[in-house]
Amino acid sequence: MTPEKPFGLIVEDDPDLSNIFSEAVHAAGFETEFVLNGRVALERLHTVTPHLVILDLHLPEVSGKDILAYIRSEPRLKKTMVVIATADAIMGESLRDEADFVLIKPITFAQLRDMSARLKPAM
Amino acid sequence: MRVNVQKLVSSLIDVSATDPDDKRRRKLLSILLLGIAASTFLMLLVLVVLVLAGNNLEIDGAVWIGATALLFGCSAFYWSNRNPAIPGWVTSGVFLLFLMVLFMFGDTPEQLAGGRSLFVFTIPIIMASILLFPAASFIFAGFSAFEIWYLAVQAGTLYNTFAAIGFFLVGLASWLSARNMEQALREVRTINKELDQRVADRTRELSEALTRESEQASQRQAILQGIADGVMVMDTRGMVILTNPALIRLLELPLDKILNKNLAEVVRSPKVEPEDQEMILRSVGYNQATLAPIRVKWGVRTLSVISAPVRDQKGRAIGNVAVMRDFTREAEVEQMKNAFVAMVSHELRTPLNAILGYSEMLRDGFYGAVNEKQANAAERILNNSSRLLNIVSDLLDQARIEAGKLKFDYKPFHVSDLTDNLHSVMDKIARDKGLELTSRIDANMPGQLVGDTHRLQQVLVNLVNNAVKFTDKGSVDVYIYKVNEQHWGFDVTDTGQGIALDDQKHIFDPFRQLEGTVTRSHGGIGLGLAIVKRLVELMGGQIFLKSIVGQGSTFTIILPFELPRKEEKEGEK
Repeated sequence: MTPEKPFGLIVEDDPDLSNIFSEAVHAAGFETEFVLNGRVALERLHTVTPHLVILDLHLPEVSGKDILAYIRSEPRLKKTMVVIATADAIMGESLRDEADFVLIKPITFAQLRDMSARLKPAM
Repeated sequence: MRVNVQKLVSSLIDVSATDPDDKRRRKLLSILLLGIAASTFLMLLVLVVLVLAGNNLEIDGAVWIGATALLFGCSAFYWSNRNPAIPGWVTSGVFLLFLMVLFMFGDTPEQLAGGRSLFVFTIPIIMASILLFPAASFIFAGFSAFEIWYLAVQAGTLYNTFAAIGFFLVGLASWLSARNMEQALREVRTINKELDQRVADRTRELSEALTRESEQASQRQAILQGIADGVMVMDTRGMVILTNPALIRLLELPLDKILNKNLAEVVRSPKVEPEDQEMILRSVGYNQATLAPIRVKWGVRTLSVISAPVRDQKGRAIGNVAVMRDFTREAEVEQMKNAFVAMVSHELRTPLNAILGYSEMLRDGFYGAVNEKQANAAERILNNSSRLLNIVSDLLDQARIEAGKLKFDYKPFHVSDLTDNLHSVMDKIARDKGLELTSRIDANMPGQLVGDTHRLQQVLVNLVNNAVKFTDKGSVDVYIYKVNEQHWGFDVTDTGQGIALDDQKHIFDPFRQLEGTVTRSHGGIGLGLAIVKRLVELMGGQIFLKSIVGQGSTFTIILPFELPRKEEKEGEK
């Protein structure tokens, strides 16, 4: 699968926020998809290779921290950029070295859109 | 045996009289009478022995009669002298007159009036000054002069004028010495009386002080036994020298594991984490008062411990007293409250973020064109949810600070970034109120410092935000400067309404704003300054407020930051 646009995966358990986040990433020129569950996200990552993952930390079943660890351990996902989007500032800060960026909620539409635009790879 | 003789003699010469002079004179007379009686008795005894031994003494019968009469006379005077009903001077006077009469028969009139026995008349003169009163010597000098005149007439000899003058001179000498003696005695008596009074006073004071002391001691003991807080007093070596039942109960240790043990031994218990042991030893085993109570876990309990030095009257530290309070329940409640606030505010953020996102997308026409009114409404939703978010953030911070969960991240930062960021966050807000926000970094500031820039930003934004909130016209000025090599000053000055002196005390209390009306018009829940203060304190700094009502306020923060080491310096941007 070689999409024309770069692919962004939004992992966020709140449906409204995942909607806003995917709109923002989409507005930055990404093809987007969102998942609301940690386990589903992990399964999805076994088959897709996103350019960008917007990752919440507190997720049902599998935590964002574990998902991040999987991405970092999988050679196929070496180029995947991870932006943590969490309300848990302490945990977010602790993962600053492993993630590419850490955003602490509240995150505005414009903020995420502009950041995604900057992270967009040249196709 | 000797004691008995002494007692006997004392009881013989003792008289019952209240006036000390009278008593002294009567005693003296008693001694005289006893002396005369004893010698007369001895003389009679010797004579009787000699006669019985067969010596043919040619003794006049008058000697026997006289001696016996003298014995009886002495007894009579002695009795009269001891009788308090008869004035002392009467007995003494009659005794002296009796002596004078007796002397007339002691020798021939010639010898008495001008010869070898003339001296006997000085005896009553001297005795009178002592037994009666000092000036009585002159009276008896007169009697003696009269007596030798009478004897001279009887003997048909010339009157011895020189002897009469001599009597008066003896009288004068006796009067002077007796008077001096009496004066000295009086002085001694006065001194004694004063001394007695003083001793009595001291004794009374001492006994009162002792009573008071023991009352206080028992009061203190009762307090110590009765209070619910655990108390222990340590000497300068850290040895526990006093404790109370509450402490034994709180620490769950037997008395002999506390009393006369070193504090380090007392806290070295498996019930106490090593960190907490250290904390107790650091704050209690130190000769200065703990500024704020420390909290330690002791077994199942949480204890709040405060200590202060015990000083003597000269202010020297002679030990420490530590008071431990059972804080278990409060700690649990506090823990629950903080966890609750953290959870709630965390959970509030997600839906608020959604409101924020949707209103922003609406306003920016993401879902299609909106007219001005609609964009305005979306903007209002955005602003209000932002405010709500800030409140939630404040609550979360406060809860974290109270739970001690706030962590600081010390890294080198550019001082100019502080003001840049401040302007980017606050310029619009200030401008919207028609205020000017200015900032100035003093020339003596270094380019970089090491600190938690995020928390410092938060402090400055909070202070500027607060200043803007309470200022209606004029400006808000930020000034950053060097205090000394380790301390840096941050002034936030506004031209607002100012804060009354009474209110300045409470300005840093959580959940407090000044007067209801102000609270209404300025929004927020009054956590901003409390958080600022706690953050500043946690970073090891202090905050001061200077304010004049109607002129404005200046909040000054002094913070310790280190200069970055060379290899630590962040690359130039």
